[in-house]
Amino acid sequence: MKRHLHIARALTVALPMALLVAAVLRHYQSPDPSRAFPNDEIVIGVDGSFPPFALDAGGELHGLDIDLGRALARNIGLPARFVSVSFNSLYDSLISGKVDLLISALRVEPARRDDVRYSRPYFDNGLVLVSDASAALAPDEIAGARIAYEYASSADSQIRAWERALMRIEKRPYELPAHALDALRYGQADGALVDATTYRLYVKSQEEWRANATFVTHDPYAIAAGLDRTDVGKLVDGELSALKQSGELARIVATWL
Amino acid sequence: MSRRMTSADAKQKRARACALAALFLLALLIMSRREPATDYLPAEQQTVVTEKPQVCLHTLLENEVEAESILLTLELARELGATTVVQFFPWAYVEREPGQFSWSLADRIVRQAEMQGLRVIARLGLIPDWARDGDTETLNHLTEDLFPAYAAYAAAFAERYAGSVEHLIIWNEPNLSFEWGFQPVDPARYVRLLEASYGPIKRANPQALVLAGALAPTLEPRGSAAGLNELDFLQDMYDLGAGVFFDALAIHSYGFREPPEAEPAPDRLNFRRSELQRAIMLAAGDDHKPVYITESGWNDHPRWTQAVRPSQRADYTLRAYDYVERHWDWLKNLCIWAMRYPADVYSYPDNFTLVSADFAPKPIYYALQNYARGWARSKTPWLPPPRPEA
Repeated sequence: MKRHLHIARALTVALPMALLVAAVLRHYQSPDPSRAFPNDEIVIGVDGSFPPFALDAGGELHGLDIDLGRALARNIGLPARFVSVSFNSLYDSLISGKVDLLISALRVEPARRDDVRYSRPYFDNGLVLVSDASAALAPDEIAGARIAYEYASSADSQIRAWERALMRIEKRPYELPAHALDALRYGQADGALVDATTYRLYVKSQEEWRANATFVTHDPYAIAAGLDRTDVGKLVDGELSALKQSGELARIVATWL
Repeated sequence: MSRRMTSADAKQKRARACALAALFLLALLIMSRREPATDYLPAEQQTVVTEKPQVCLHTLLENEVEAESILLTLELARELGATTVVQFFPWAYVEREPGQFSWSLADRIVRQAEMQGLRVIARLGLIPDWARDGDTETLNHLTEDLFPAYAAYAAAFAERYAGSVEHLIIWNEPNLSFEWGFQPVDPARYVRLLEASYGPIKRANPQALVLAGALAPTLEPRGSAAGLNELDFLQDMYDLGAGVFFDALAIHSYGFREPPEAEPAPDRLNFRRSELQRAIMLAAGDDHKPVYITESGWNDHPRWTQAVRPSQRADYTLRAYDYVERHWDWLKNLCIWAMRYPADVYSYPDNFTLVSADFAPKPIYYALQNYARGWARSKTPWLPPPRPEA
């Protein structure tokens, strides 16, 4: 009788533990791609009018998002099919099931989390404070500095926010963000505030110039999947992590930016 | 100290309780029937001061969280010198349950616009949950059996705002598959929606003008899954007899990368493409009907393929108004997309707005304000392009 009691006690502990371990294993187990994508292809919606992320050149798509989609699909083991979608209809095409994923320079929008599942970010297009490498400027050193930026842009909003915090800045507004970086390179500003894409494209075209950049804000770009497609979300996150760890994601970003 | 309750006391207490209950019920009744919120109204009736009555802005007030933002947006529109705003009134927000209309947001927008002295052109769309096809979750998939329900909403709107809102746009960009919940584009279906809506609207408010079209500028050929170019779509509408079901045409006319004077052609997207739609109207004998350009403008994002520079955007926009004034007597309003978004989308569509989400006017706002108010052009707000120092 006593022995039976011991067994019963052991079972009451072991059984829930086993179930818990099974649930955890199941959670971390990579889903079956053919179940996640029952049509044996990954249909990716993209707005092909926004280089360097995606450009539709005579029906052929190129860009960072296209290379990322192909790399993901290759790792998952299914072919990728890209569908050109206008920006306004991106989310509707996902919600209505026309596409499996959106890879289209989409910033994570918290308000959309009721409808879509975002992956881990694959790129941060936040504002960066750029300075010449020989006179590096940190965000907490900008008081009194000459800061160049694109007029009426998100950088302008950030500058105004700094001013509201009673920070004195010598403002250098320009028509284009590239002009702000020109001003910095020519020594007509101490720093330039631009988004990360602008910065990376600029330094790519100015190989002899050494610059320093520090993130001031964060605008994470992520892949969007349907909220009800848990397996798709897990697969994408898993493969995105693998691409990061292998250095492939950095290589794709460096190809275009 | 206590005392025994007499029967008179008890009666008095009962009477007091009854009175309180009656008062409570009366308060409930008043609250349930009270007029919609009229908070954040300007202190007094405002008047638009402008030299260019054609100036019109497309607002997006339906998703504003703060009532104050509606006031500020409309104030900025009036101060710019706009006479008119185009505003979306989503069916899904008003008729959440069949036959149960909740007008509080629409009331607030219409009342605030009136107080600013602005005329409202209403766009009606977005399908309520109960009217959506069960197989789709998009907000634009309306099956034909529910066309009368849409018409009933449009008629209720026309009746409620008779005397305040006299211009009603039926649907939006029906030549795009996306705007039909990804169903194939079908001009005949849109004509049937117009037909279903026209009679009920006119019965509800005989003064109301029914605006058709609001077609997207696109080069999509027949058979395309994405849509159908607006010229073929409009021609099909006339061929199907749509002419008797609308009083005016709404046009969407973006400039993309071309200046406003660029010649129109069926295979080019530019501002004067509107003239091709007007030509179809004339050929159909609709020369007496006015046209409203309810969406227009240029975009100045540094990386979008269809954008121009901020200085070009301001210049092209003013030249478009000049062109309209000199050449298009059939056009009633040229409405710029868009006054302001309630929140940034952090991509190139943000560069269609005149005012940022945090209410900072952009150079295009000031340029258009100077033009509409007849003020001298202000100097550019940015520094000249930097040059290497010698």
